[in-house]
Amino acid sequence: MATSTYLSNPVVTVNAVDLTDQCTAAVFTQRYDQLENTTFGKTARTFQSGLGNHEVTLSLYNSYAAAETFATLENVVGGLVTVIVKPAVGADGPTNPGFTLTGALLSELPVVNATMGELSTIDVTFVGGVYTADVTP
Amino acid sequence: MYYIIKSARLGEVGTEYEPKPGINVEALLWGGFIAEVNDQQPEEVSTPAPKKGAKNKKATKED
Repeated sequence: MATSTYLSNPVVTVNAVDLTDQCTAAVFTQRYDQLENTTFGKTARTFQSGLGNHEVTLSLYNSYAAAETFATLENVVGGLVTVIVKPAVGADGPTNPGFTLTGALLSELPVVNATMGELSTIDVTFVGGVYTADVTP
Repeated sequence: MYYIIKSARLGEVGTEYEPKPGINVEALLWGGFIAEVNDQQPEEVSTPAPKKGAKNKKATKED
């Protein structure tokens, strides 16, 4: 049965800092540019893959306290960073790959997202970088 | 010089931190996640002892 249910198991680290307890959603997309190589004589468009164009989007509670979300991201924005998302706690392995984006750019950081009576949350997107899925325990 | 962990988000507090390639150490320092430790022995600084009554002599001249 091909299903995955995420409760509280995933692990999220940004620049080696564990932000699991601040993260409510993570979308890690492995993507390659699609280059069209259709030619005369074809009856349908065809493509081949180009450069990797991967990205990770995290939804985080925003906290300005020491060693929390803001302290982690403030000096990372505008620079390159390593982001790791794992489906579950524990060692990397074929059933628990450590999805890693190395050298990803965080180009923007919402420093304030305030709504009356609600916990502050932010969505941050890391783009580019080298994608790997570490399955080595 | 080496780094020690100051936040449990990074590892066991107080243990040495060895940054892996691709880790932004400056950001970790700024965020207070690690601290820099200089393991060089501080050089001995020899401070000459002040001469007895030197200040008083000067004060006497001005007077």
